[in-house]
Amino acid sequence: MSFREHDRKTFIADTCGDYASRRISKREFIRKLGIAGVGLSGFGAAMLGGGRPFRGLDFGNPAFAQAGPDEAMMQWLSEVGKPFAGTTIRYTSEATPPTIVANQLAKEEFTKATGINVEIEIVPLEQVLQKATLDIQGQIGTYDLYYLDQSWMATFSPDMEDPREYYDSHPDIAMPDFDWADFSQPLLDGISMYDGKLVSIPFDIPIFILMYRRDLYEKHGLKVPTDLNEYMANVKAIQEAESKNGIYGTTGQLRSGHYSLECDWTAWLWGNGGSIYDKAGMFSGGDEQGIKGLEYLMEISKNCPPGALTWTWDGEGQSVAQGLAGQVITWGEYFPSFDGANSKVVGLMEAAPPPKAISLRKPEDCGFNEIPNVGHQGGSGLGLSKYSQNQEAAFLFMQWATSKDVVGRGSVLGGGASPVRLSAFTDPRTLAAAKVGPGTTRHFPAVEKTINTMMGSEPDFPAWAELSNNTIPVELGKYLTGQFKTPQECMDAIKPVADEMAAPFRKA
Amino acid sequence: MPVVVLLVVFGVYPLLYSVWLSLQERSRVTRQFEFVGLKQWEIALTDPRTWDSFQVTLTYTLVCLFFQVVLGMAIAMLLDTERRGYGLLRSLMTLPLVVPPAVTGLMFLLMEDAQFGVLSYYLKQLGIIDPLNPILAGNDTALIGVMLADIWQWTPFMVLIFLAGLRALPKEPYEAAAIDGASAFQAFRMITLPLLTRVIAVAVLIRSIDLFRVYDYVYVMTSGGPGTQTETLSFYAGRLFTLANFPYAAALALIVLISLNVIASIFIKLFKVRF
Repeated sequence: MSFREHDRKTFIADTCGDYASRRISKREFIRKLGIAGVGLSGFGAAMLGGGRPFRGLDFGNPAFAQAGPDEAMMQWLSEVGKPFAGTTIRYTSEATPPTIVANQLAKEEFTKATGINVEIEIVPLEQVLQKATLDIQGQIGTYDLYYLDQSWMATFSPDMEDPREYYDSHPDIAMPDFDWADFSQPLLDGISMYDGKLVSIPFDIPIFILMYRRDLYEKHGLKVPTDLNEYMANVKAIQEAESKNGIYGTTGQLRSGHYSLECDWTAWLWGNGGSIYDKAGMFSGGDEQGIKGLEYLMEISKNCPPGALTWTWDGEGQSVAQGLAGQVITWGEYFPSFDGANSKVVGLMEAAPPPKAISLRKPEDCGFNEIPNVGHQGGSGLGLSKYSQNQEAAFLFMQWATSKDVVGRGSVLGGGASPVRLSAFTDPRTLAAAKVGPGTTRHFPAVEKTINTMMGSEPDFPAWAELSNNTIPVELGKYLTGQFKTPQECMDAIKPVADEMAAPFRKA
Repeated sequence: MPVVVLLVVFGVYPLLYSVWLSLQERSRVTRQFEFVGLKQWEIALTDPRTWDSFQVTLTYTLVCLFFQVVLGMAIAMLLDTERRGYGLLRSLMTLPLVVPPAVTGLMFLLMEDAQFGVLSYYLKQLGIIDPLNPILAGNDTALIGVMLADIWQWTPFMVLIFLAGLRALPKEPYEAAAIDGASAFQAFRMITLPLLTRVIAVAVLIRSIDLFRVYDYVYVMTSGGPGTQTETLSFYAGRLFTLANFPYAAALALIVLISLNVIASIFIKLFKVRF
């Protein structure tokens, strides 16, 4: 260990000791850790298990620690929260940045103001789905709120209150200046709407953007790709030139049987002009464009570190941070971790909107509100359970967690991963963090452009969660490991199941 | 009476509920259950994926059992001594047993990682694995990769049971055998094994039941992949349960239960296991 590293660790240890023995306040503790370059990621990574994606939550801006919550909002919360003091609300979530931020701030801000206790169970995504599924099947009301992945909106739609309607019908607990118009329409449509109903309030927006190594692009005279053909050319160029140095053309989240593989597949499928369903609601992954998309995925996999076949989002993000990949089109949520403390590519990564599709199918030619585009969005929303015994208290928390103030601060605290509000992109704290360093928001312009112009969204129907978490990634995994001889065989294996599951939801 | 109540609440009721569930069909539209008789069982027994996962489960159980018994016995015999320091070794044997299986799975996932894994690194150096084919993504190696975690974690369990058995054996037959000029191997084959048969049988039975229900390692290390190469019956049932296909998952879980009961009954009869 170097002296510098030794001093840093000693400083952190002393700070923790001072805080534990009440010698310094929490604010001072956070400020000092910010100076030492330690953020929420330390807590998250150490204590919260695997989340999506590989997180890089850092207090990149020590000045932020001095920025407290919005005083007017806290005043309002303390007034309307009184009748609910002592209530405990629960929800279960994946360890995504906004949840970690909410978990960190809830006690010292929300609970302090309202007296409402918040219990957040943080588990991997598939367990969130399992718990939510069991809860709604029995209509038990164990959880007052649900963290809902965008691919589950249709599944859980009947069990959620429409938050907008709830807001309008409960003026006594409706947060002033909540500003619904501050959520961009594409985001609301892509994440939270199903069949004309608002199922949740957008809470998190991981979205596929292009992230590349500036040093390698300069070294090999590469240009930022404008379409997926150019992107593949860059992938192959870096693979050829750098594989002897242990750097691969790209990387992936290609673990068989895992939803992450389905996410990668959709981007290449859409980017090659295909779609999962056609306008008749029949599976179309095996048509000409679909096969091209699958071949593209196979080509990508050949230019990844071999380990990519066993990785989900965590491994993929790690591989970039460890300097194993020249570029990748994946969750922008990773980006802050590349400038983080344990990264080997600090300051070397650049972000851009994803390259254009080679060809693109129109949404009206697809089924179940599918929107093809390379910028696959994996957002999530907070839903209010119809079976909750504490709906009003839960709704207060929901508004606080998705308020302008918390989203704005969360975008910096959360490593720039959850700008679900338009105001988050122009928040002075966000703009101040747009520089190389832990918790950077340098990638926000790329994220914003992708949300507004290139966002791809999966189909919406209640059986989609089952299909996208089982049949599709299992069969894709077989294809990537040579269990199918041709891409057509793989798609033919998915088609009957995909058609059968979609059948009850096709519009006549 | 309290025991009966506990048994009914935690044993009989869940079992009966699972049976009831396996006779239903859940509508994806209304999410209501509808009685369909043995339809789920028919689907389960004709589903190629069920048979594939049954085969994976059986392979996993037999291979892990073989290594755990053989290694367990070998290590137990090595530790069955009064030499100094061996007491500490015997204590260390318990360490893997206190690690949660999911954590062990995570540990081996990292050790077998193609890029960062220490195990992968040395196996590549020795030319045992192809650098381009990660252990856990290879059609022929993924199951072996998962088994390694199980064997590492549960061999000590066998060691402890066999060691207890060895320590309880009488000395006289060995003294007589030594006078008759028996070799160590002959003594093991003619005295130790016959005397330990029941101990081995109980250990094998307990481990078989555990192995047949394996879930944690598969969940953490491979998600059942590549494809369904490491998908065990329990994992398949668990996956379906997560995705709200409760009736089918219940039918699969009951198939696991029935299979286990049949295998265990045959085993108990065959080896005259007494508890």
